[in-house]
Amino acid sequence: MPKYMEKLIIAGAWLSGLLLMAAVGAILTFLLVQGAQALRWELIFGTTPILEALTLQREVFQGLFPAIVGTLLLVLLAVALALPVGLAAGIYLAEYSRGRWKGLFSLFCDILAGIPSILVGLFGFSLAIMLHKYLAAAIYPCLLISALSLSFLVLPYFIRTTQVALENVTPEIRRTALALGASKLQNIVHILIPQALPGITSGAILGIGRCAEDTAVIMLTGVVAMAGIPHSLLAKYEALPFFIYYISSQYSDRQELEMGYGASILLLAVCLSLFLLALLVKRRFAGPLLYRL
Amino acid sequence: MKKCFLRLQVALPLCLLALFAFAPLARSGGLDAFRNDKGEINVSGGTAHIPVMKEAAKRIMTANREVRVTIAGGGSGVGIKQVGEGLVDIGNSGRAPTEQEIRQYSLHVFQWAIDGVGVVVNKGNPVKSLKKEELKKIFSGEINNWKTLGGQDRPINIYNRDEASGTREVFWEKGLEKGNISLKANVVVSNGAMKSAVANDLYAIGYVSVGHIDESIAPVALEGVLPTIGNVKSGAHKISRGLYSNTKGKPQGLTGKFIDYLFTGEGQKIVTDHGFIAVK
Amino acid sequence: MSSGKRVDRIIEQGFFLAALWSVLVAVLIFLFMLVLGLPLLRSGQIFSALTRPWLPQAGLFGVYPMIVGTLAIVFLSLYWAFPLSLGVAALVSVIHPRGFGRFLKKIVLLMTAIPTVVYGFVGVFLLVPLVQKIFSPQGGMSIFTASLMLALLICPTMILIFTDSFESVPRSYHEAVDALGGSPVQKLCYVLLPCARQGLVAGLVLGMARAMGDTLIALMLAGNAVAVPGSFFASARTLTAHIALVTAADFDSMEFRTIFVCGLLLYVFTSALIVCTRHWGGEKGARF
Repeated sequence: MPKYMEKLIIAGAWLSGLLLMAAVGAILTFLLVQGAQALRWELIFGTTPILEALTLQREVFQGLFPAIVGTLLLVLLAVALALPVGLAAGIYLAEYSRGRWKGLFSLFCDILAGIPSILVGLFGFSLAIMLHKYLAAAIYPCLLISALSLSFLVLPYFIRTTQVALENVTPEIRRTALALGASKLQNIVHILIPQALPGITSGAILGIGRCAEDTAVIMLTGVVAMAGIPHSLLAKYEALPFFIYYISSQYSDRQELEMGYGASILLLAVCLSLFLLALLVKRRFAGPLLYRL
Repeated sequence: MKKCFLRLQVALPLCLLALFAFAPLARSGGLDAFRNDKGEINVSGGTAHIPVMKEAAKRIMTANREVRVTIAGGGSGVGIKQVGEGLVDIGNSGRAPTEQEIRQYSLHVFQWAIDGVGVVVNKGNPVKSLKKEELKKIFSGEINNWKTLGGQDRPINIYNRDEASGTREVFWEKGLEKGNISLKANVVVSNGAMKSAVANDLYAIGYVSVGHIDESIAPVALEGVLPTIGNVKSGAHKISRGLYSNTKGKPQGLTGKFIDYLFTGEGQKIVTDHGFIAVK
Repeated sequence: MSSGKRVDRIIEQGFFLAALWSVLVAVLIFLFMLVLGLPLLRSGQIFSALTRPWLPQAGLFGVYPMIVGTLAIVFLSLYWAFPLSLGVAALVSVIHPRGFGRFLKKIVLLMTAIPTVVYGFVGVFLLVPLVQKIFSPQGGMSIFTASLMLALLICPTMILIFTDSFESVPRSYHEAVDALGGSPVQKLCYVLLPCARQGLVAGLVLGMARAMGDTLIALMLAGNAVAVPGSFFASARTLTAHIALVTAADFDSMEFRTIFVCGLLLYVFTSALIVCTRHWGGEKGARF
């Protein structure tokens, strides 16, 4: 290969790297520069005193607090619905299934992971309408339906990370308890899961991040422009990513636009922190546990 | 005998006077109606209505913490459909529901404001006045460059609303006289979105609720008439419409009180504060 | 002991049911799309649904323009993303594996955490005016703009899969090239690329699936016009954005039924792509 071609390829690779960094840098800088002045307590609590807002004594109107609470509740609910099922399914895939069945389950898990989020939202919406018509008129797109749909979206994440974490446990550890007479289930519960816990936890945290940032699913299943703090599971609610989407297309003044920037920085900070936390959990706790035995 | 009669003659008118004197106070204290209530009102539909809905909701929720109002957009079509299916309590629309819709969903229609739809362009656009024929040709795509109208030599970017929009329906019927709208037009989903889009695009043209027009965009005079709320009131600006709230069946309880609130002095003041014309 | 065994058995059945649930959900979503779109399919209008334009007032409910829009945006974003990802992967794995390469890989990892809506938001306020000024006055909200942001979205996924593929080439091959005095570029072109070929295809296909399934960037940046786009600087609507726009509007009419046809199309395409990814990338290939 002629020397100049080599140089060209190296230059191309460097260009790609720098271009990527420039793009990411541009996005972050733009957000920070435009949104820096929005980062005050008023961004979250508007004109309501902080203590009264936190103790739910007064509603917050011009602030992100309802959206933040909505996102929090949504994520907690979705993860609570999806994590146990994901954990159990991951255990099944890693420990019990073999051969063709394993391939089949794995395939469907991947297909579920690949379904566009808008389709999951559409499914949730149609489900809600069906339940509304045929089951109970009180059901319509709401917090519960959104959380349910989000749990479908994030289920494959939990299944996959549990499965991979369990499969990564070394054979020696796997066989020790069995050799000592423990049953398969005892082995799983007392030895394998604790060993795989860093991986499972980090996967759970990533799943939480995925729920927090999703917009397409909640757009169709119950999030609205203004709702305050949701009082029940069957209520409409606000959410941070939807607020960002909504403001981007219809801000009525400079202040609302600034709130949009502030919200973007907030959401970005939350997602990045969750990601770093997941990374930390995986590295810090995997290390000592592996060395202990 | 005579004394009693005299007393009655004085007392009765005095009582009636008192009743009428205090009646407006009882009417305008709209928020008091919500005092001991508890519950939720779900509102969705027309995007032009949202600022008024938000303000009304804010006042009601501040007055009584047990009452919650949720507000969603979606457009007039969505509002009518959702209230008809029982998914929300109040469905707003920027066009009057059709006979079929009223029959199908047993709608009760309440008009609490008068609004108009006006053509808008970016502030930096020199073209500020159009004839009706020119407007129709622009939106159908026949005229596709600003220089034909005396502006810069740049293509015209048309912004249109989604299918559910009442604003679009009114504009298409009264402004374009049911003319074609080019398929290549960008589609935005609310009045607010239309405003942002036009404000951020030098070569844009769009249409928006008159009450929403502010300094960020420039209104375009149609046949010499600017789309101001004064012109809508006087009838000079022909593209006018009402802002409606619809309920399925007769509005009950909290929903009824919310609708009543919109018609009180306070409610109508919110309407005028946001650039619309009050009906009372 | 036997009751303990029975409890064990029940718990194990529970694990099985949980795994079955994920299969059930995937199948259920497909069935919903099929059943709810059935009136359209049954009335024989499937062909017109796929090839006609979208003009609800004229009674035409075809999604052809949206199919073209989706294909255009996906193709263009891959056009930007594939060389970029390949270049970065080469930089990270081969050309400068220590120092800058490691730093860049960390940045790429962090990029996977950026929410899609933030990409869209920045796109609306930074990219759209920029494109309008530099490239085309009409192309502010267009396929071009959306594809740029979409490329940025799918790059991290592709880069990570590419670097994984490069790194899974056996150490002995690396050492063989080094022993023969080959330069990093020669190693890349003559050994790594051919060996990691399957992984590269898997990454490409997965990137395609992600680009096809994304809603927000297309919704916020591509303009959403209903016409078949005439150029890359024209406004267009993707299948995903169409679903988002119409679902908000109506549910029960023929209009709404076509949404499920869109959904079916998307489901079938992305699932097919996922199956291909698994085939070429092995089990590890189908990363999110």
